[in-house]
Formats: sequence, C-alpha cells, structure tokens
Amino acid sequence: MLDIPTNGENVIIEAHDLRKTFIAKRGRGKTEEVEAVRGIDLAVDEGEIFACLGPNGAGKTTTVRMLATFTIPTSGTARVAGFDVVKEAAKVREKIGYVGQAGGVDDNAPGRESLVLAGRIAGMSRKEALARAEELFAAFSLSEIADRPVKTLSGGQKRRFSLAIGLVNRPPLVFLDEPTTGLDPQNRANLWDEIRALRDQGTSVLLTTHYLDEADALCDRLVIVDHGEIVAEGTPEKLKKELAGDVVTLRLDDLDGARKVLAAQPYIKETQVEGDSLRAYLDDGEHGLPTLLRALEAENLAIRSISLDRATLDDVFLKHTGRSLRDAA
Amino acid sequence: MLRHTLLFTGYELGVMRRNLAWPIIGIMQPVLYLLLFAPLLTSITPNGELTEALIVFTPAALVMIALFGSMFAGFGMINETRNGVLERLAVSQAWRPAIILGRVVKDMLMLVLQSLLVLGVAALMGLRISLAAMGLMLLLMAVTGLFAANLSYGLALAVRDENGMSQIVQFFLLPLMLLSGLMLPMSLAPDWMQTVAKFNPLYYAVEAGRALFAGDFSDSDIPIAFGIFLVLGVLALTWSVRSLRKLAG
Ligand SMILES: Nc1ncnc2c1ncn2[C@@H]1O[C@H](COP(=O)(O)OP(=O)(O)O)[C@@H](O)[C@H]1O
Ligand SMILES: [Mg+2]
Repeated sequence: MLDIPTNGENVIIEAHDLRKTFIAKRGRGKTEEVEAVRGIDLAVDEGEIFACLGPNGAGKTTTVRMLATFTIPTSGTARVAGFDVVKEAAKVREKIGYVGQAGGVDDNAPGRESLVLAGRIAGMSRKEALARAEELFAAFSLSEIADRPVKTLSGGQKRRFSLAIGLVNRPPLVFLDEPTTGLDPQNRANLWDEIRALRDQGTSVLLTTHYLDEADALCDRLVIVDHGEIVAEGTPEKLKKELAGDVVTLRLDDLDGARKVLAAQPYIKETQVEGDSLRAYLDDGEHGLPTLLRALEAENLAIRSISLDRATLDDVFLKHTGRSLRDAA
Repeated sequence: MLRHTLLFTGYELGVMRRNLAWPIIGIMQPVLYLLLFAPLLTSITPNGELTEALIVFTPAALVMIALFGSMFAGFGMINETRNGVLERLAVSQAWRPAIILGRVVKDMLMLVLQSLLVLGVAALMGLRISLAAMGLMLLLMAVTGLFAANLSYGLALAVRDENGMSQIVQFFLLPLMLLSGLMLPMSLAPDWMQTVAKFNPLYYAVEAGRALFAGDFSDSDIPIAFGIFLVLGVLALTWSVRSLRKLAG
C-alpha cells in the first residue's frame, strides 16, 4: 500500500494520504479554504531521525500536528506507535513527546515547576517527577537555571527546557517542530548533538526544518515538502546522488543559449536556471569542468563567473520545484 | 480527572504565590467601595446606620471582586494560545477539561480568599453576621467564580486577542453591574429594569447575598443563585473545552 521504502524494521509512524483543509476567516464574514496538507504518505522507522524539509507555509507544522493528535485530519489515516491518531488519540499521547514550534514553556514559572507538572500529568508521583526532572536537567545542562523564571533565560536555554519537557515521559517517539529556528550556530550544533544522543538511546525523532544543512547533517531519511505535498523522499545521500554529485554554477549573458549547449553534453545530467545563473549537474566535476568550458567556448558564449560545488539538498529542491529553498516563500 | 484538575490548580497557585501583588491589588477596589460608598448610603437605610448599609453593600462588594477579578481571569490564557503551552497540554495525557478547570478552581479559591479579606474589613467597620451566613456567602462566591472564570476562559479561547477580549468584557461590565443592583438595590428601579435584571445571573448573587446577610435563609433567591451558577458554570466549561479543541483549526 505504501510506496515508501523503509529499512524493514518496525514502523513507528505510518501515514496514508493525509490531508488538511483549513477554513480561514477573511474578515466581513467571508471564509477561505486553505489546503495546508494535500495528501502526504509517510513511513518512519523505529530509532531513526526523520526530517520534513520545506519552506515556510509548506505544511510541516500542520502535518506534525496531525500526527501528534492536535489537529484532526480532513481525510486520510495515520498510525503512530501502532495506534490511530484520531480513534486512539489517548493511546498515541502516551507514546509521544511533542515540542511545538513556539516552545510551549510557561514563561512565568521556573522550568522545574513546568517539568514536574508535565511529569505528574504523565502519571508520575511527585517524587518520581522530581527525580526525572533532575535527570533531564543533567542531560541538558539546565541544573543551574532550573529555578529561575523561564522568561529570564536565553533562547537556547528555553529551547532546551522545551525539549526536556517533551521527553519527560520517556516517549519512544518525539516530534520536534523547527527545533533550531532562531538559535545561534553554537546552540544549534549543541542541539543537534542532543538530538543524535536521543536516537542513540533508541528514541525515534520526527523533526521539521527549513534549513538544508540541518536536514543534511542530522537526519537518516527525509521528505521534502512543498505546498502540502511530498516532492522527494529518501536518505540525503540518495537524493543528492539521484541528481548528481557536483554542480557548476555559471553566470553569463545568454542563459538559454548556454543551457541548450550544456543539455546536449552527455556528461551533464541536468540543468536548471535559477535567477540570473545557470546550474549544471554532473558527477565528476573536476574532470567535467574543462570539457564544459571548451563546449561553451566553441559556441562563443562569454562567461562572467563560474564555480564548482558539491550538490546540496537545495539542488534537489530546485530540481523538484523549480525554486531555490532559500527564495521559496 | 480530579487528580489532573488538582495538579493544574496546584501549579497555578504556585505561580500566583510568586506574584501575590495582583490578587491584593484586586481587592483594593471593593475595599474602597465599602469604605467610600457604604457610608454615603446610610441615609437610604431605615435607621440611617452604617451597619445596615453594610448588610446591603458588603455582598455587592464581594460580587464586584468576581466581576472585576474573575471575569478577567482568561487574559493570561490568550498568551498561552500563542506560546505553545496549550498546544503542548492538548497532546499530553492531561484530561482536557482539567486544563481549564484546574485554573478555574484556583480562581475560585482566590475569590474566596479575597472575599474573606473584604469581609474582614466590613467586620472592622461594624458588620455583624452569623457564621452560617458567612459560610454560605463564601460558598456562593465560589460558585459565582466557577461561572465567571469559566466564562472568561471560554471568551479568551474564542476571541484569542487581548484587545478584543478587553473590549467585550468592558462592554458588558457596566450594564451587568448596574443591572445586578450592585450600586443601588434593584428594588429602587422601575419595573422594566427589574424585569431585565432577572436575566442577569449576578443579580441573583447580590440578592442571595443580601438575604444571607439579613439572616433570611429561606429566601428563594439563595437556591436560585446556587442553581444558576452551577448550571451556567458547567455550560461555560463545556464551551471553553470546545474552544480549546478549535485551537487546532
Ligand atoms: N489554524 C490554521 N488556520 C488556517 N490556516 C492555517 C492554520 N494553520 C496553518 N494554516 C495555513 O496552512 C499552510 C501551512 O502552514 P504550516 O503547516 O504552518 O506550514 P509550515 O509549518 O511548513 O510553515 C499555511 O498557508 C498556513 O497559513
Ligand atoms: Mg511550521
């Protein structure tokens, strides 16, 4: 039924044709339908870090909210940890941790209070919840700031509290919606390490991000979403390999002419125009570049600048959507 | 269910303990009302004594705390619709009504405590009531709080905008106040106003309070007030929980 390959281990998330259409108010009593998610299939294995990569408004948050039992899908089905997200929402909630895009930490109380409350809601006694809080504070270096009102903390510290609260019930699966947005590079790198540590302890992670390098560096597999649909799926390596290993970016006056010439070269796998530059994909850039230059020269096409890089997930996004993820609205 | 409600109540009480200034400021208004308004009205009482005026206006001062305090309880929750706290709680193992009910119980406790303080001031001014009247009055305040706070949370979750909510509450505050006999007893009002007042739940709270303070325990307004607030409280809670679900779109 699902055409998404998994490693054949146990699947912890299985979604089939998930859709969500919001009825948004447009003032003066008018409403408008917003198709936020338009048929998403997912299969996430136990113990992997799975990413949803896509630009703002792609439908990442809506997808995660449906899987986490917050938003009820308009149609389609999903099973999380073996339970249906609509019919068995209470069972799903026992098995997940959810860290929303906004963080969800009470600013007015010290982090310890929020954590103990979350633990007790999950069924722990006060003593157990306090012990669990200590454990998490140690893991996320929060012990020293656990008794300060959260509003006095930095963005990175708050984010670590959000994560700690999401993990309080030792969930086998945790959802992280844009976990590193707004963090400085140092805090981002630290959070990546913490997320990897989670996987190493056997926790499955589904995260969303609009950062290419984050998906590339962190996840085992990913889907790229755009306008509520999956446009590509696989491991970062596989996605990039499908395209090509290297990319040559050219700036020249006659983009269309150059594109025709390059498309006719057997070693060029793909060409894309992005703004005022032309991107040509090929497997062995170091050896292909001289040949490519000679071909352009033979047609008297003047080059203003040229660069050779490894292909990134942005190139994958460009190939599937015709836009760069950096520019995508 | 009860466990989750009490957990949330405990947490909210902790938050309040760290910001005790607000509930204390909250009773300044009714205390000032008692100090400055009741003496003014001794002339309309049969014997022109302050203690008589206190019997009429202390219940009004208490209902005032509910109106100016509990009706604004929901403001804090508007921020929680944005900062992700409600979203997180909604997908936690919490029994959903407890998320709101836990806060309402805190507001009820706070209202009862504030009422005790105001009653203390009234006692210093010369009010003398029986222990039974006081107990029932505090219970009446608790159910008034149950309704007012639930309504406030429902409004907060439905409107989700501080400006909008404050406009709406302000709009209803003055008519609710005047039509409950909070300022002057409704018995002084023309017939049509008395009829309109019968549709204002707070009217019954004030009337029931006055009956209790006058030692008239058989007054029918007393059970009516308790009944109305319990029923409206449950309805308002249902509304808030539904609004909570609508947060998800
Ligand atoms: N509650 C809602 N009501 C109406 N429209 C919504 C709601 N939530 C999201 N949307 C719309 O759905 C689309 C996808 O949003 P979202 O899932 O938040 O995307 P992403 O997380 O990828 O940025 C956007 O166009 C957004 O405006
Ligand atoms: Mg989002």
